[in-house]
Amino acid sequence: MNLEHFLKNEAPSWMSKDGVDADIVISTRIRLARNLAGYRYPRSFSEQEAKHVDDVVTNALTNINNVMFSHFTIKEMPALQRQVLVEKHLISPLLAKKEKSASVVISNDESISVMVNEEDHLRIQCLAPGFQLLETYEIADKLDSYLEKHLPYAFDETFGYLTSCPTNVGTGLRASVMMHLPALTMSNQMKVITQMLTRLGMVVRGIYGEGSENLGNMYQISNQVTLGKTEQEILEDLQNVVSQIIQNERKARQSLMKQAPIALEDRIQRALGTLRYARVMTSDEAATCLSNVRLGVDLGLIKGIPISILNECMILIQQGFVQQYAGTTLQATERDLFRAKLLREKLNSVDENSKEKGEEKYDV
Amino acid sequence: MICEHCKVREASVTVTQIINGQKSERHYCEVCAGQFHPFHIDFNKDDNLQLAQLVSNWFGLPIWKNETQEKQTQAAQTATTCPTCGYSFRQFLNEGKLGCSQCYETFSNKLPQVLTKIQSGTKHTGKIPGTTTNNHLLLKKQIDKIREKLQQAIVEERFEDAANLRDEIKDLERKLEVGGVDTP
Ligand SMILES: [Zn+2]
Ligand SMILES: [Zn+2]
Repeated sequence: MNLEHFLKNEAPSWMSKDGVDADIVISTRIRLARNLAGYRYPRSFSEQEAKHVDDVVTNALTNINNVMFSHFTIKEMPALQRQVLVEKHLISPLLAKKEKSASVVISNDESISVMVNEEDHLRIQCLAPGFQLLETYEIADKLDSYLEKHLPYAFDETFGYLTSCPTNVGTGLRASVMMHLPALTMSNQMKVITQMLTRLGMVVRGIYGEGSENLGNMYQISNQVTLGKTEQEILEDLQNVVSQIIQNERKARQSLMKQAPIALEDRIQRALGTLRYARVMTSDEAATCLSNVRLGVDLGLIKGIPISILNECMILIQQGFVQQYAGTTLQATERDLFRAKLLREKLNSVDENSKEKGEEKYDV
Repeated sequence: MICEHCKVREASVTVTQIINGQKSERHYCEVCAGQFHPFHIDFNKDDNLQLAQLVSNWFGLPIWKNETQEKQTQAAQTATTCPTCGYSFRQFLNEGKLGCSQCYETFSNKLPQVLTKIQSGTKHTGKIPGTTTNNHLLLKKQIDKIREKLQQAIVEERFEDAANLRDEIKDLERKLEVGGVDTP
């Protein structure tokens, strides 16, 4: 596959499948950090070591039979394309900045990506729609078990899988769940939840990077601890916590519906109107409106807008995508014009689609 | 003092920042500081941050003062330096990262005190290369849990919930049979 395939103005194909608890959990991500014995870590290795690692890992991955992978070298990519891959969570901001033989290997449906020579030699990442911690881990685990037969992993009996940062050592596992929590946010319960999670060794973050804590009411919840617990314990703890939050969010939504149905519906319908007709749109406003519309769809107050379109818009409103859509680099104010145009196109075409070919398109 | 980032918790970590020669101090709580650094890439954006101080606070270790810093660094480096990558323990504390796998052996007697602060133990209990983990046990456990919920729903005559739970169990059982998605 050429790079253009991964840069399209669309949500990745894995996202179009329905997930468990998809009204609240957008996606699940599993990340495994691994290093190869005999090579220094990317922060201290030589150009030659970097090249070796890249070659060995890429070789091992391209020999897998039933998953098709494409390999891209970071320094060969223009800056805007790197940014688009970051916005799709296919690569990290750190990898995007790398000059020494750093690369990414991506499966064609974008559900699996392996970053090579990021902070560690390998960062295996698996993505899935909805709430599927165990299932997604199983995919990552299988790929990892395959790779360990072909690559000399750096492993120590005491410390486990060795990583550049001691916050990843041991299992090298970071499991994350991306959640849409508008009702808990509106009812000011997120602070308490964040504190509780911290005590349990979990981290809560905004999804659009630092300083965007609750932009679009999206939260990424992940495990902090990687050493001293088994993978199964880590996943189970996160699973329990997230299940609890899902229940709380559902309860909070119901009480919002009961207490202030008119105000809630007004807010939701206004958001839809804004997305469909506004001419200038900042990413903040777009994220907020999309969150309200999503809530409207979940509560059955808005009909005819598939969640998949909202998932797509959530990705497309980011800087890199907007510029790619415009076909050129843009100033912030210009971006707001193009963002508004993009959202109008996406959300006004929905009705016609759902009447004509919507069924075949979304109910497969 | 309240944390400047979340504006909720008590600040306990001080970060000294020098931008264009202007020194400023920021105060964060342990949670926010932990999210920035030592271990998150977002923090790397700002290369001017004096990470040493932050890391030292984080690990509860004494701060090296500028004057003596050079000498102490040299002393520490000659004492223990990783033979493979040249990292000293001091450098690790500065950057929050290790240079190579050999570092774990080189600093094996100092690392546990750091690990106990950020991890839930100092010994790996998870996957070992060459062995297969049984993820099915987890799926089975999950099915059992949902079965309990199903029983409860039936007792309480919440039949719609029961139907949903039954479907969920079926889904999981199918996954158990197929053995997950076949990657390699
Ligand atoms: Zn704070
Ligand atoms: Zn080393």
